[in-house]
Amino acid sequence: MKRKLTAAIGIAGMMVSIAACGGDSGDDGGKAGADGYKGETLTVWVMDGSSPDPWQKELTAAFEKKTQAKVKFEVQQWNGIQQKLTTSLSEENPPDVFEIGNTQTPAYAKTGGLADLADLKSEIGGEWTESLNNSSVFEGKQYAAPWYFANRVVLYNKKIWADAGIKGTPKTRDEFYDVLKTIGEKTDAEPIYLPGQNWYHFVGLVVGEGGELVKKDGDTYVSNLDDPKVAAAMETYKKFQALSKAPKDKDEATPQQGEVFAKGDVGAFIGMGWEAGIAIEANPEIEKEIGYFTIPGAAADKPEGVFLGGSNLAVAAGSQKQDLAKEFLKLALSDKFEGRLAKLNGVIPNKESLQTSLKGNAAAEAAAPAAAGGGTTPLIAQWAAVENAPNPIKTYMTAVLGGKSPAEAAKQVEGEFNKRLAQQQ
Amino acid sequence: MTVQTERPPSGPVDVSKTDGGASDGPRPRAASRAGALIPYLLLLPAAAATVLLLGWPLVKDVLLSFQNLNMSQLIQHVTEWNGFENYRTVLTGADFWRVTLRSILFTAANVVLIMVLGTLVGLLLARLGRRMRVLLLFGLVLAWAMPVVAASTVYQWLFAQRFGVVNWVLDKLGWHSMADYSWTSSQMSTFFVVTLLVVWMSIPFVAINLYAATTTIPGELYEAAALDGAGAWRSFTTVTMPFLRPFLYATTFLEIIWVFKAFVQVFTINGGGPDRLTEILPVYAYVEGVGNQHYGMGAAIAVLTILILLGLTAYYLRIVLKQEEDEL
Repeated sequence: MKRKLTAAIGIAGMMVSIAACGGDSGDDGGKAGADGYKGETLTVWVMDGSSPDPWQKELTAAFEKKTQAKVKFEVQQWNGIQQKLTTSLSEENPPDVFEIGNTQTPAYAKTGGLADLADLKSEIGGEWTESLNNSSVFEGKQYAAPWYFANRVVLYNKKIWADAGIKGTPKTRDEFYDVLKTIGEKTDAEPIYLPGQNWYHFVGLVVGEGGELVKKDGDTYVSNLDDPKVAAAMETYKKFQALSKAPKDKDEATPQQGEVFAKGDVGAFIGMGWEAGIAIEANPEIEKEIGYFTIPGAAADKPEGVFLGGSNLAVAAGSQKQDLAKEFLKLALSDKFEGRLAKLNGVIPNKESLQTSLKGNAAAEAAAPAAAGGGTTPLIAQWAAVENAPNPIKTYMTAVLGGKSPAEAAKQVEGEFNKRLAQQQ
Repeated sequence: MTVQTERPPSGPVDVSKTDGGASDGPRPRAASRAGALIPYLLLLPAAAATVLLLGWPLVKDVLLSFQNLNMSQLIQHVTEWNGFENYRTVLTGADFWRVTLRSILFTAANVVLIMVLGTLVGLLLARLGRRMRVLLLFGLVLAWAMPVVAASTVYQWLFAQRFGVVNWVLDKLGWHSMADYSWTSSQMSTFFVVTLLVVWMSIPFVAINLYAATTTIPGELYEAAALDGAGAWRSFTTVTMPFLRPFLYATTFLEIIWVFKAFVQVFTINGGGPDRLTEILPVYAYVEGVGNQHYGMGAAIAVLTILILLGLTAYYLRIVLKQEEDEL
């Protein structure tokens, strides 16, 4: 008897909810225009650390006001993102809008997983900085929208530097090295935390030397790691890495270098401005000690080459909410929110006119001088495969740091590197 | 193995039926037909679950292995059959054979260690007093019950280069060169950590199994052996071993299967690195298939892995099949 009652209640409940659904859709049909998106939820993937909470909250509120639709932000990790993205794009319910690294964009544009954003570009993209928009364009079509860009700086611990008696910040690579040496001699601190596989910094050094990671051989791209310019960049990396006790076979995220720095016994590290946030979260005391400066280059008049990392926003071709997704992009990339992101995170916005929002942000001011001389990994569809673990560039770095000559190390990874560049996509 | 003696001698089924008809008793035909169906009906849920959970993925894997399935094809839902192309590429490359050899050596080393240490712990369990036995059993069960990923993560922390306990202890013990030793930077040291983890996690199963086996040995046999003048070693080889042998067979082959596909341990500790030098077959399939997004290629490697594993365990399968034949 009791069981029957339960079943009856369950069925009654179902009827009510079905009725409720019916009511809703009836309402939707009745209203038009601005309320057309009511009840819909847009799923947006952002990468870990790329968009701060206040930005997400304000944007969500503004978006809801404008379209009546909700936004669900889902934070993703860089490690393994390609596998996750590929699978999600193949499914029926892909994320509607997602952040995608600039070096990975061409590969995904080629797969047909990204929606064509030509109309968005003509509507709001007139002022986008061309060099920043390059990675979003594949075979002449606009597959993504440039979102933000950033390059690395030196983050240092002012207290440790003062303890070592150092005044000011170094202007050349040699000065930088001497300063770190002094710290090592005069204090108990580790002068710099530089793990062996901070390959973004290495790519920056290669850019600084004027080198290229790949070269064209007929129709295909092949490894260019045996280039003396690449070797010179690696030698610089090795010289600084020798001052660090960081593992030679780990990258800057394992463990998070910001967290290592937070312990207060590391003189400096090379990272993104926002990595200071990681350190402060781990140890709020450290906030007042953090300083920033541009990574010094070989000569005082030209900062070190940097990897111009950045992210684009793309719309999944398989998304059922194309229009809503574009509404979101228009708002997220509007001067208001683009400027706000630049200010909060100290990242380079997609328009020159918004650069003013960086004023007063110490990290951004330190990053800005190097940005002009920055570069990226080759913007070719084949590149994304290289970044899959185990990344041959990382293997190359560890091999050199482990004692092999750059030429030997280049030879060691050449097979794997070329295989990946030649892979069918 | 143990019940055989209670069975009537094997022979054609109809013969035994006419012989032993009295015990069965005659039954109406219809009832016996319905009765005959019952075992199959009872088997149905298990069979359905097996087909659904094991059979379907296997069929799917084989189908995928004949396709060119990369990022583009997956995202656009295109099916491109390419025949034996994946197999050709895998089998003609040097990588696959190197990884296969490495997998076999890795499995052999681990299984030997597991069986020897596990058996010793099992025999120890049998000889211990009640309280110590419970304590040891408790510890074994805890190690056994630990989820693999959790255990791997703990080992990763233990052997971390800068903040790991192992390096710290070695340093305190006066081995100062080990203070910042990177366990994951060479092939052998990575395998050392992985092997330690795998062996540690596998010993409980073998030990408890073997201990259970020793409890089936009647005490009189030892007395009889002692009366006949057998020493400790002799009574072990003539009394204990014959009872343990079937258990040793079964656990060895189970361990071979488990160690051969120890994906989680190898992948979590160092991702098959450094420089892909600790990839065993399942990790290789993952790195090529999922990691490099060549899903068809990965599927082909997985199929080959299954075949190799079947080959390795063929001997055991033969024993099992032969036994069943004997029992009929």
